[in-house]
Amino acid sequence: MFHKRLYQFVFIYILGIGFLFLIKKVLNLSDYVIPSPVEIYETGRKVFLRYIPDVLNTLSVAIIGHVLSIFMATIIGIISRLSNWIGSFIKTAAFNIQAYPIVAVAPIIFILLGDGLSSRLLIAAMICYFPLLLSFIGILSEPVVDIEHFYVHSGKMRWQLEVKIRAFENMNKLVTVISGSATLAMVGTIVSEFIGASSGIGYSIRIALYQSDLAKILIALFLIGIFTSLYLAFLEWLGRIVVRKWEHNS
Amino acid sequence: MKNKMRIFILLLTLAIIIMPSGCSKKNKEITKVSYRLKWLFNTSVAGDIYADVNGFFAGEGLDVEVKEGGPERDAIKELEMGHAHFGVASADQVIRAVSKGAPIVVIAQLFQINPLQWIYRSNETKINNVEDLKGKIIGITFGGNDETIMRALLSKYSISEDKLNFFSVRYDYTPFYERRVALWPVYRNAEGVIIGDKLDTAKEPVSFFDPNNYGIHFVANSVITTQNMIKQHPETVKIFITALIKAWNEALNPANSDKTVEAIHKVDKDTPLDIIRRQLDITRQLMKPTDKTVFGSIDVNAWKETERIMIEQKLISAPVNIEKRLRKEF
Repeated sequence: MFHKRLYQFVFIYILGIGFLFLIKKVLNLSDYVIPSPVEIYETGRKVFLRYIPDVLNTLSVAIIGHVLSIFMATIIGIISRLSNWIGSFIKTAAFNIQAYPIVAVAPIIFILLGDGLSSRLLIAAMICYFPLLLSFIGILSEPVVDIEHFYVHSGKMRWQLEVKIRAFENMNKLVTVISGSATLAMVGTIVSEFIGASSGIGYSIRIALYQSDLAKILIALFLIGIFTSLYLAFLEWLGRIVVRKWEHNS
Repeated sequence: MKNKMRIFILLLTLAIIIMPSGCSKKNKEITKVSYRLKWLFNTSVAGDIYADVNGFFAGEGLDVEVKEGGPERDAIKELEMGHAHFGVASADQVIRAVSKGAPIVVIAQLFQINPLQWIYRSNETKINNVEDLKGKIIGITFGGNDETIMRALLSKYSISEDKLNFFSVRYDYTPFYERRVALWPVYRNAEGVIIGDKLDTAKEPVSFFDPNNYGIHFVANSVITTQNMIKQHPETVKIFITALIKAWNEALNPANSDKTVEAIHKVDKDTPLDIIRRQLDITRQLMKPTDKTVFGSIDVNAWKETERIMIEQKLISAPVNIEKRLRKEF
């Protein structure tokens, strides 16, 4: 699964780079606008190893932010199914907060928390938390009538059981949502680094942008793609194991 | 005889068909052009706004769309892509682009003195010479031209970088307000006035550290176009730059201050009029430091120094002979 994800990413990346070279050729653009293959190669030789710790730094923050978001979304998702009012209130709040552009909110976060890990973590979590929360609320509030009515009528229904039934019946959906939000966590971390932090690959991209160095940015994008693909593949693998285990236990 | 006559008529006909189109191709000028600025509308682009508002381009038969710049805008790339005909770019951008084969030409230099300076609290930090920077925490934008300028200064005065501390600068000035950083980079004629004002209100006097006073002549913003534009539409380029320089001269003329401030305030409503006025006074000193300074004149030596600094700091790998891209006459 891991190598399949990598092949797929590398294929997409090559297609993208090829498209850029095509534009460069057709419009006869200089290396300043779109770098030449030689320049990309030379830049890659210089910065590839330097960028790997930066990407790992970003990925680690993204993973922590992602895990925190999953944890919080699960709790809030469970609470919000207690009553229609709470559910609707949390949903409205989530929609509203989601609507705020992070680039406008991030400077406030950096002023309050500084440019360290906590700001990056919070922004990463904010970006992936709300979509997760909305999906979790949707899944956990939707009754699985065929199964639940038996427990309801026999008086054995407890909230823990209700959550279990709904989670189990929608496990594939939950795995997809969690995997999907992983990319959001990565994007959130990169955006936060780009705006205000002093480390991570987003910070390196910002410096490269100041220097109008697209070659460096392309190398950074390559590494981001590779590590994000690996993380996604890992989540999918983990999801399959969990689904298999649940099915086996039931 | 008949054949000769036929050939003559044929050649004449061909000449009639080809000649006008050939001539028109060479001389065909464009009247609708786009001009991409480097930054948002503020006092740094006073003359550009003045030209637009007061019809300097229209008076010469040019329809110029003056477009705001911003951190994510790059006039050089837009020129190459054909999205703009003229633009404003900093010297380091121009040199970097030329080193990568961008076909651009500088047609006017806006600032004679680089507006990038470092603000500091004069009652807490004493800086009388470059040596005084030692032991201080200095804000720099890593990758930005303030980093290049500061490193060039330190190199010129043989000050090792471990003798001071750099602080990575972003958009918000909180670290400076909180005194975590002693010197903070600002554009003297823009944020310099605003931050200076705020600190003044808090009874904290400020001063500015200007690398230019210590022999670092790093060129700032200039007006650029493409080689192709000069070749294909020389008259348009000439009309554009003449109108622009005329507008800048009028905008910077102290007698027209009110008119200029009013024009800027129309597009920069968030900045109070008195701040714009003070920004304009400083902009004037940076663009026309003496009465004899010809606005827009290109300081070739400063450009060469900028190129030398960039080579020294390995920002470009080889000389680009930037003087060949400076077009002083039209």
